Amino acid sequence: MTTTARPIRRRSAFMRNAFPYFMLAPAVIFLLGITLYPGIYALYRSTMTGKFKLEFVGLQNYRELIVDSTFWESLYNTLLVGSLTLAIEFVIAMTMAALVYRDPWVKAWRIVFLLPMLLMPSAVSYIWKLLFNDGRIISDLLGKLGSTLGNIDFMSSTSLARMVLVITDVWQWTPFLFIIFVAGLQGMDKEVEEAARLDGATWPKIFFNISLPLLRPVIAIALVLRGVDILTMFTPVHVITQGSPAGHTETVSYFIYRTAFKSFEQGYASAASVLVLIATIILSQTLVRRFFRSGTEA
Amino acid sequence: MNAIRKLTLSLWAIICALPIIWFASIALRPHNEIIAPQPIYFPTFTTETWAKIFAEWPIMNYFKNSLLAVSGSVFICLLLGIPAAYALARYKFKGREDIGFYILSTKMMAPAAVAIPMFVLFGHFHLLDTVWALMLAYAAMNMSIVVWIIRSYMMEIPHEIEDAARTDGASDLRILWSIIIPMCMPGIITAAVIAAIFAMNEYLFTLIIASQHAYPLSVALANFSGGSDGIIYNAIALVAFMAFFPVLLLVILIQNHLSRGLTMGAVKG
Repeated sequence: MTTTARPIRRRSAFMRNAFPYFMLAPAVIFLLGITLYPGIYALYRSTMTGKFKLEFVGLQNYRELIVDSTFWESLYNTLLVGSLTLAIEFVIAMTMAALVYRDPWVKAWRIVFLLPMLLMPSAVSYIWKLLFNDGRIISDLLGKLGSTLGNIDFMSSTSLARMVLVITDVWQWTPFLFIIFVAGLQGMDKEVEEAARLDGATWPKIFFNISLPLLRPVIAIALVLRGVDILTMFTPVHVITQGSPAGHTETVSYFIYRTAFKSFEQGYASAASVLVLIATIILSQTLVRRFFRSGTEA
Repeated sequence: MNAIRKLTLSLWAIICALPIIWFASIALRPHNEIIAPQPIYFPTFTTETWAKIFAEWPIMNYFKNSLLAVSGSVFICLLLGIPAAYALARYKFKGREDIGFYILSTKMMAPAAVAIPMFVLFGHFHLLDTVWALMLAYAAMNMSIVVWIIRSYMMEIPHEIEDAARTDGASDLRILWSIIIPMCMPGIITAAVIAAIFAMNEYLFTLIIASQHAYPLSVALANFSGGSDGIIYNAIALVAFMAFFPVLLLVILIQNHLSRGLTMGAVKG
């Protein structure tokens, strides 16, 4: 080495070890601000009652909440609408992905199938509100197809109102699963399929026995991400049903929003928030670690 | 077989596209042809209503608020997220797994559950009904996605390039700035676009934060009601498409990275 070469800079061992923490600190501190702080505040607020002057009531909010049928109903509705929505989205997305992934025009199909996802969820909710409710288009079209039900009031029946929520979410978010499934299927080895075909396997056999099992990790991640989003469903409820009829279509998110920002019972809503946060922590700790690859391979 | 396949695909394409085309027609209709006693399938098209909508509602203000809040939040995400992603992708240190998974788990947080504390916090700092609060809320919501997407792209950069730079005396920050960031630009752009779309779409936090001055497009839609006209659907459609076209352009830009972005780097392709 000549004397003109720059010496390799040596930093203290402390600096070397601390460097990654310094790099992570701003993001982590920022995130703690929206996870740790709200958790603690919700816990504190959930033991208080009153709108302006707070009064300590201990666990009373929780005691009331666990016997509140509207809360349990919102949970039941969330799970019912959510599981239906997720199941339908999965079936449609997988069918379309399976039909399209070897198509020479796959990119064009993909853009068209993607369109509903690119509108704002609030806009999509208004589209379906107008189609089902305010514009009475769906009733009218059903009538043209021979339905004798006349003008259906979709908000008067619990199951019809739930169906509107399901359709709204399915229409907008099936593309999310579809995009991921297509990418997963395209990423698979063509030669395995080709070999199976040469061995005389039929197309459904190849798909169900080879492609689908290989796709399992991709399916799991996609369903976890979509499932979490569906469990926190809020926008279509706020825009379309507002819980009607009689609060039967409230989701847990809407229940918290309504209690806190319409009835101004923030202590009570905070108790519900704490329960939701606990559920989220349990859910995310198990799901996230199970389905996402860790950083160890780097 | 192939005919049935194409028929199914075409049917789904119609289901996806038709409501959007029909909604575009709503933007072009006069008010009395939207909610009529009998649905009107072949309306008279006009853009005359637009002048009235723009005159009566501060639409450009909504647009400006969206633009500011979304781009500001993406900037915060990148500023804090890129160094974090770099540390997670490139360094071995105690607690790396736990920190990485903690960041990811914030994605699972229910917005409704943190809405009350956030409302109180922003109220405390007099940030309610400001674009700044929207910016911070969107950034918090998207941080996990941005970190994980960029981390996934950084992990693919070969170590040899950095090692060579390091022997030449480059510092870690220098390597990040001059080598890593340029090399994972597709990942950074993907993360930025996806964060921008999610921020543009956000509804619950926005509803709670904005009450008059800070309305962005997503919640402004909910304003077009009340009064004698009922819900003003042509204004809603107009504003919806003002947000739709920029998003469409961004998505076409990153279409080959979309699935990877949406799964936070877990699914390639």
